[in-house]
Amino acid sequence: MSIGEINFDMTPVIELQDLRVKLGRREILQGLSCRLGVSGKGKAIGLLGPNGAGKSTLIQTLLGFHRPSAGSARILGLDCHAQPRQVKARVGYMPENEAFIAELSAVAFLRVMGELSGLPSGVALEKAHEVLFHVGLGEARYRSLGTYSLGMKQMAKLAQAVMHGPELVVLDEPTNGLDPAARARMLKLIREMKDDHGMNVVLCSHLLRDVEEVCDEVVIMKSGRIVHHADLEAERRSNRRFVELEVTGDDRDFAAALREQGVDGVSEGNGKWRLVLPPATELDVLWRVVARQNLGVHRMTHRRDSLEEIFLKAVGHLKHTPGEAAAVEPEVASHGRL
Amino acid sequence: MAVYRRGYQRYRGDLTGRWARLMVLPRFAWKRLLEQRLVVIILVAALFWPLACAAFIYVSNHSELWPGLDRDFAKMLQIDGQFFVIFMNIQAVFAIVLAAFAGPSLIAPDLANGALPLYFSRPLTRLDYVLARMLVLVGLLSPVTWVPGVLLFAMQSGMAGGSWIVDNWRLGAGVFLGFLLWIVFVGLVALASSAYVKWRIVAGALVLAFFFVTAGAAELINEILRVDWGRALNPGQAMNQIWRSMLGAEPMRGPETAECLIAIAVMTGILLLVLERKLRAVEVVS
Repeated sequence: MSIGEINFDMTPVIELQDLRVKLGRREILQGLSCRLGVSGKGKAIGLLGPNGAGKSTLIQTLLGFHRPSAGSARILGLDCHAQPRQVKARVGYMPENEAFIAELSAVAFLRVMGELSGLPSGVALEKAHEVLFHVGLGEARYRSLGTYSLGMKQMAKLAQAVMHGPELVVLDEPTNGLDPAARARMLKLIREMKDDHGMNVVLCSHLLRDVEEVCDEVVIMKSGRIVHHADLEAERRSNRRFVELEVTGDDRDFAAALREQGVDGVSEGNGKWRLVLPPATELDVLWRVVARQNLGVHRMTHRRDSLEEIFLKAVGHLKHTPGEAAAVEPEVASHGRL
Repeated sequence: MAVYRRGYQRYRGDLTGRWARLMVLPRFAWKRLLEQRLVVIILVAALFWPLACAAFIYVSNHSELWPGLDRDFAKMLQIDGQFFVIFMNIQAVFAIVLAAFAGPSLIAPDLANGALPLYFSRPLTRLDYVLARMLVLVGLLSPVTWVPGVLLFAMQSGMAGGSWIVDNWRLGAGVFLGFLLWIVFVGLVALASSAYVKWRIVAGALVLAFFFVTAGAAELINEILRVDWGRALNPGQAMNQIWRSMLGAEPMRGPETAECLIAIAVMTGILLLVLERKLRAVEVVS
């Protein structure tokens, strides 16, 4: 079997069809269906959700640790339950909890892991050194893993996950317990994995900022269901239309002038405006309108949905974002002041 | 180019097959075990009795060296099923001691350090994992059990001539299969103990305790209930009865071979159940 034999055409990285998983009598995953990523594209998928949402169960099911009670889960076109060996040969997994083999040096640990993944013995040894230098553990590679700090152990876990050059790397809370510098390094490595090496990444994290920095797609789960699936890049693009503006001068005709340019605006009084730009409209238009109205700009802020807002909205803690409020009340906006 | 300058490159070559991957764990485990002085000492100590048996075989085949030897005493020097039963009983004890030292280091550290998800997220099933761990013990216990046993049989065959092999082939087969059965059973006890408790030393003690406690319980049942089937619950004695049957030696008083086989099968089932329950990639709390 060769990694090079895999067909990369438009196969989704993860495909779930009415996936249900029961642990004991409790149904943890309740009919998940989605298609995430495209194999060979090197994209990162963020998996978000509050505690108990079923993120870890989903990851563990993808890795074949749990048997689906109904439906199916496919990774790179392969059924996780029916073809577990083929799936696992293509996947690297970094678990959330501490996981290593006691008393082994990092090199020996990675060598064992590499050989278990199917690397020939000599290649595994070479790769072990290579990957340890890559994650910044080169100087400490002959030390026993038991003597490593938490940050070093996280890096060693990442190293064993990418050791065999998998197509998909599943990272469960990779920045847990890392200081800011180590966190930045971890995120940089994850970005490199997808951008430079074409690996697909599934990042499960409760740190929204990590997901926002790294991921291209995000799936938000709640109570065993997918409540939101978003293309983060598209989301960012669509949200560029929200602008907060604070002007000085007589702004009575400002709303009408904006409307002529296709821009909806709501005055909040004292020169404060909230504007909704059409998708194709650039900020230059605003500057021109402001200039024609002889207004001074005191402050201008791009407002967009942050991932936090998307997340809170998806899990039901936020009804809608401030920008959306302006968008759903155009008739008020067109009449100027509230 | 020096490895630290090269940077990370994804591996895109051929992957090894299932059996090559399966042998990875035994290879590394054997290497680590043989680095332990105590394991080497036990291995060496376990070879003294086979050497004594080899000397016995030599003497029994060279009675001309002892001109004044009593005829009855010379009869005692026969190499038969009883001889191999005694040989096997002694070596079986060494197998238990070795398993008690080596077995706990196989699974307990993996459980304590959360390594199972790392194994099972790779193309390695739970069955592969148990098989790999069992192979470690089979490899370690073979040199003190069936290997010297078969060598002794070969030595006797060489000295006694071709007709002896034809008449006694079941001794060779019995030694090999009997010890294999014992290795698998002792291996399962060691693996189940190692999976049941995460502390290596406690797991080692549990292996020894298993054999002492079952032996004590068997005697207790026999004494209290005034029966003799209790011996079937003592794996050592149950196996001894099975070996006697395989080697054509005189059976012991107590349960029949079939009953002993059932008792060993039930115990094996329980040990497998422990492994099935404990060796999971993730612990599910229901």
